[in-house]
Amino acid sequence: MKIDVAHVAKLSRLRIPPEQLNQFEQQMQEIVNMVEDLPQPTVDNLSLRESDAMELRPDEVKPSLHRKLLLAGAPKKQAGCVVVPKTL
Amino acid sequence: MNYEIVIGLEVHAELCTATKIYCGCKNAFGAEVNSNCCPVCTGMPGTLPTLNEKVVDYAITAGHALHCKINRISKQDRKNYFYPDLPKAYQISQFDVPLCEDGYVDVIVDDSGATKRVGITRIHIEEDAGKLLHHESFEDTLVDFNRCGVPLIEVVSEPDLRSAQDAKAYLETLRSILVYIGVTDGKMQEGSIRCDVNVSVRPEGSAQLGTRCEMKNVNTFSGAMRAIEYESRRQMELIEAGGTVTQETRRWDDDKGVNVLMRSKEDAHDYRYFPEPDLGVIAVARERVDALKASLPELPNAKLLRYMREWGLPRFDAGLLVENPEKAAFFEACTALGTAPAKAVSNWLLGDVSRILNEKHWSLCDTRLTPEGLCGMVAMIEGSEISNTAGKTVLEEMLLHGKAPAEVVKEKGLGQISDTGALEAVAREVLASNAGAVEQYKAGKTNVLGFLVGQCMKASKGQGNPALLRELLLGLMESMGTPRY
Amino acid sequence: MLYTKTAAELSSMLRQGQCSSAEIVREQYARIARVDGKVRAFLSLTEEQALKTAAELDGRRAGGEALAPLAGIPLGVKDNICTKDVATTCASRMLESFVPPYSATVMEKLEAAGAIPLGKLNLDEFAMGSSCENSYFQKTANPHDVTRVPGGSSGGSGAAVAAGMAPLSLGSDTGGSIRLPAAFCGVVGLKPTYGTVSRYGLVAFASSLDQIGPLGRSVADVAMLYAAICGGDDMDATSINREYPDFGRALKPDAKGKTIGIPKEYFGKGVDADVADAVMAAARALEGEGARLAEVSLPSTPYALNAYYIISSAEASSNLARFDGVKYGFRADEFEDLTDMYEQTRSQGFGQEVKRRIMLGTYVLSSGYYDAYYKRAKLLQQQMAEEFAGVFATCDCLLTPTSPTTAFKLGENLGSPTKMYAADVCTVTVNIAGLPALSVPCGRDGDGLPIGMQLIGPKFSEQTLLDVAHHYEQLTGGWNQLPEAL
Repeated sequence: MKIDVAHVAKLSRLRIPPEQLNQFEQQMQEIVNMVEDLPQPTVDNLSLRESDAMELRPDEVKPSLHRKLLLAGAPKKQAGCVVVPKTL
Repeated sequence: MNYEIVIGLEVHAELCTATKIYCGCKNAFGAEVNSNCCPVCTGMPGTLPTLNEKVVDYAITAGHALHCKINRISKQDRKNYFYPDLPKAYQISQFDVPLCEDGYVDVIVDDSGATKRVGITRIHIEEDAGKLLHHESFEDTLVDFNRCGVPLIEVVSEPDLRSAQDAKAYLETLRSILVYIGVTDGKMQEGSIRCDVNVSVRPEGSAQLGTRCEMKNVNTFSGAMRAIEYESRRQMELIEAGGTVTQETRRWDDDKGVNVLMRSKEDAHDYRYFPEPDLGVIAVARERVDALKASLPELPNAKLLRYMREWGLPRFDAGLLVENPEKAAFFEACTALGTAPAKAVSNWLLGDVSRILNEKHWSLCDTRLTPEGLCGMVAMIEGSEISNTAGKTVLEEMLLHGKAPAEVVKEKGLGQISDTGALEAVAREVLASNAGAVEQYKAGKTNVLGFLVGQCMKASKGQGNPALLRELLLGLMESMGTPRY
Repeated sequence: MLYTKTAAELSSMLRQGQCSSAEIVREQYARIARVDGKVRAFLSLTEEQALKTAAELDGRRAGGEALAPLAGIPLGVKDNICTKDVATTCASRMLESFVPPYSATVMEKLEAAGAIPLGKLNLDEFAMGSSCENSYFQKTANPHDVTRVPGGSSGGSGAAVAAGMAPLSLGSDTGGSIRLPAAFCGVVGLKPTYGTVSRYGLVAFASSLDQIGPLGRSVADVAMLYAAICGGDDMDATSINREYPDFGRALKPDAKGKTIGIPKEYFGKGVDADVADAVMAAARALEGEGARLAEVSLPSTPYALNAYYIISSAEASSNLARFDGVKYGFRADEFEDLTDMYEQTRSQGFGQEVKRRIMLGTYVLSSGYYDAYYKRAKLLQQQMAEEFAGVFATCDCLLTPTSPTTAFKLGENLGSPTKMYAADVCTVTVNIAGLPALSVPCGRDGDGLPIGMQLIGPKFSEQTLLDVAHHYEQLTGGWNQLPEAL
């Protein structure tokens, strides 16, 4: 199948510079062509097995991370919050 | 052309667990920004989610309360999209195997207690996102991650609602049920319950559903009504003008009373759902599922209808009692004693008791009032031992100090004198000292009677039975030749 | 020369007071200073803290305290494992400045055991690669021939141990990332059964395939390190709570009576003759020791690489979406709006291979394509697990080459992503089925480059794999020789 690189890039929030686009598209199509080769499935459903059940966590409060440590690596912060470009 | 409006609602309710859904941070409203966070709920590299067992319990309990089929074995899925309030850039939710499906709720639609059945498609668990803070003076947006990871259940209704009123009744019923079973605090002003509204219209009689639009940012139930009214009108006008309704997501602005386009179908998110690989299968033991069902209390609607039937309470009053589980429990404890009429008890609970609670910002449990106390007082009023007015004083004493009503009456000398003989003497005395008033009454000024009763009350230090005094005065004046008006 | 000893030897010497931990650590840093200029395995060093910890442990030991086997032993840590207050970069510009305020669970366990981290080791960016050439910072060289790759993605982990810069290292394995460098660098590497080592604190690549594992120059060393890091963890819902034996203590040479399956699909025409010959020679040596060889078949093998790239890229595309410039890590300097910020940040922050994997992953999960790709890959995964289970009904373990070739030249495969992917063809099946696999050296090729063979077992069979490998190790005299060139 043909991969729509522009569309997938948008979904992934990636931008391929125009000068790299051709090679990139070629490589992506090569990869897609390779991985497409899968046998026809003999079963159609991915079963959920009770034996794969996980243990659940008790509802007990644990200490949170101090805000100073939480925001220590934030690229831009103000008033105890992380700052991003306007969303609305 | 007459149109039918078709409405479906997706309600998100924050669960009142102690901790968040995937980490041990406190699940609390109103904390200082970014103070209830950890590496897990802020999506730091290498961190992993661990599912809170209470969240599963609460979701299943809600499923039982809404008559759903419980999926004992289910899983979680990732819903992928980029937004600053979503630290991992995916929300852990449930896609194709929700914890609960195929339920219903019977909503009371009028004062006679008639109900309408609304289907519940599914209930699933997921995590809440953070909060974005804007201000017109600030050119950027601030992100508060406190709310990230707060546990939510999403309750999706079938498109069975046909009017804004229907929708409001459904929302109120749903909220009431969820509060009753203790899974949410239901505080609308804290955002504990939010809903997305789906509206479509179709010609009356048509079996096919019209194209629906989804509205987000509906934060109150009355807002939901306004949103539905606006959107249905928008769609009808569009169709009448020859246009077609396209599938869109629109943002409701309650202040302006309009909605605006957020996303068209083409721009719709491709969420790329896939099973959450960091979490295993959720398997709930059959015994646990059954135990959760057995733990359900009587649900609010059933309670409301029962109050109407058994105690003859009007729907409005029954609704007010039911709305507050504490008051309902108190009311039931009173009716169980059988010492006072239920309607009178209800009136006092909804009247003076509620007034005082509101003034002092108390709950019933903050007071010293007991069902025995309230019933005792009501019985004394019914038996004319004390007046209604005296009752208010007794009530205050009971609320504050928990004293028995008889004790208060004795202490404060509130016993109503209903002894005809004693009261007749007072009445004669008052008539004798107020000849002018008697003349006025003879002349036709009937409201003078009130003044005369008041004088009797004064003379009896407020303890006279006013109704009895009124009769005695009329009787005496009649015997003196005054007509009874 | 302490840096030439194995961890087991050092542990014994420490217990007998023949040396101090401080001496060991100093020698390792001296060795690093001498050779890492050529190898470039380390991204960062934590010398001050390491010496401090060593002194503390020496003090405790001198005071008569009985310490764990790993106490005082230094190791290198792959830089996708979070270490509190120490930069954890995943060899990416995206996390160049990221300092986690928490440590991975395995690091906490190692700290409790008294192991001493020397520094963080180079890898392919976000563990995506088979040669360690995708690192944003530097290309690590193979200590046996510095014009060649050390293998990837745990290239630094393999090279550091092979070059004597550390007796032990931690790597991570998603499709062969521990085993391939172990094979290329001539050391031992274990990819544990999925779920036996906590992933909390391992920066996720493919959640359902990733495992942290040990590398060393002997089987006993790898067993010792594995024993210290395995165990269930409340912070990782995919980790498994069970009784784990003390793998190091229980180790014994034990190939006799074992049935070793030789899956024919792993010896096809893509495999170099030198490699196939060396692996078969090892098989016959084990047969000579009383093992029974059996030819078996795993028919889904040819599709495994494709299923692997679909599943791992899908999960990776989602796991790496959090790197958005909002709350930590790299953020682009200039952008017009939110979407632009995302795109600029991620385009500048990620290298080419990472971008290709994210794109592939997004593609296979996108609307309309899920059934054709992801779902089919997951169904194949189920099938492969069944095939392995079938084979293990009659075999105790399987023996295969770790990789079809020996170490290739730096730059040789960079032009073709799919050619690079082919290096994983023998290793990915193991991750897909969640099984344990151990790579041990089994000879040299015509150019003197190490060849690795892989022992694969059913879930939780690490002791069997270690025992069989240990038996072979004793036959061959072991692999604790540092390259002469360094």
